[in-house]
Amino acid sequence: METVIIDYISQELVPDPAVLPLASETSLLDSGVLDSLSLLRLVVFLEERFAVSIGDADLVPENFASVAAICEYLRAREPGAQGAARG
Amino acid sequence: MLASPERREQRVGDNHAGKLLRSVEGAAYWAAAAPVLARLPAPIGYRMACWRGDCLFRCQSSKRANLARNLRLVLGNELSTAAAQQIARDWFRFDACAAIDVKRLRRSALPLRRLVAIQGREHLEGALAAGKGAILCSAHFRTCSSGFSVLHASGYPVTTIGRWHHNYTTGLSPAERWFWDRVYARPLRRHRQRPNIEPWPGRPEVAVLAAGALRANEVVTITIDAPPMDSDRVRAIEVPFLGGWARLLPGAVALAQVTGAPLLMGFLYREADYRHQVWEISAPVPAQGDAATVFGRCAAEVSAAIRRSPALWDFWNSTEDLTDLGLLRPQQDPSPARQAGLLPAGG
Repeated sequence: METVIIDYISQELVPDPAVLPLASETSLLDSGVLDSLSLLRLVVFLEERFAVSIGDADLVPENFASVAAICEYLRAREPGAQGAARG
Repeated sequence: MLASPERREQRVGDNHAGKLLRSVEGAAYWAAAAPVLARLPAPIGYRMACWRGDCLFRCQSSKRANLARNLRLVLGNELSTAAAQQIARDWFRFDACAAIDVKRLRRSALPLRRLVAIQGREHLEGALAAGKGAILCSAHFRTCSSGFSVLHASGYPVTTIGRWHHNYTTGLSPAERWFWDRVYARPLRRHRQRPNIEPWPGRPEVAVLAAGALRANEVVTITIDAPPMDSDRVRAIEVPFLGGWARLLPGAVALAQVTGAPLLMGFLYREADYRHQVWEISAPVPAQGDAATVFGRCAAEVSAAIRRSPALWDFWNSTEDLTDLGLLRPQQDPSPARQAGLLPAGG
């Protein structure tokens, strides 16, 4: 999952090659990798690639701060993730 | 010794007491006078609003001179001094009429809807029939905020990308923000599908929220002629605009390309009687070409609309905004009143 997301962001969204290679902990917002429109592109990609629906309430900076945060957010939405966390 | 009328007006209008007086007068107009005028028969209400506009045009010499100066600096030789003054006077009139428009949005907005004709409904309905929503691009016209509410009240689910300025203007007290929210924003907000999507640094979710509205097959409105914020300057592109070049954000086009929503242009013009207005909504803008090319087409439409009715455009009064847009050079600021030919020699 992490590699897929890093590849997509690196190839499609990074405006300045100086930030490459992208680490999973790199701040996507502070480094300028993600602006409003690139976040939209990323959300569309994530919804199609991982078959999830990302609601308005989930559009908080914490969920998209870094690739690691995105992965954590997506894992939490996997079927059974909440039950597994409880159990 | 008596000062000339022009000088006397300047003294009254430009000092601290004058600013306070204008502020109180503006608040009283929006809170007390405009609601009454909006309940009178439209010919009378709008006529009285024009009187108020004329009164401010005479009293606020500095603002009047600034408007005329900016008009002539941007539009150049197209405007004579007399024409610039005429547009400046209409600018004040339109400003006063805009308050009546907002106050006529009461209940189902019928009092205002009766005065607004919508041309190009078929374009909007055709776009929505495809199920991907529609992006309606417009300009910062005095009429546009109430016009978006009229569209919503006429059956089109409208969500607007745009800030409520009283929430962002520095120097306003919480009481002033509350006041303007109550008298200005609340009547407009009642006729919108969702709360405004307000771009601001630190809010990267703006485009995703707009895409959500488009997915729900709504009309997303956006005024594309705003000067870019500091944080957005790198994304701005230069396009031909009003005979010069302006730096604008092509975000509406990028949003259309990602979501597949058609881009339409729409402008709400005020007629010569000041009370009737006409929405003119275009067919979808051709999407061939890269984002800059498509956005150039949109900007050309905005530019033509401003030339057609210059007094409607908000930004003539803001030298700072015109400079940020790239239409004025920062150093173009000497003796504004005299440049515009509005002060008598030696005045």
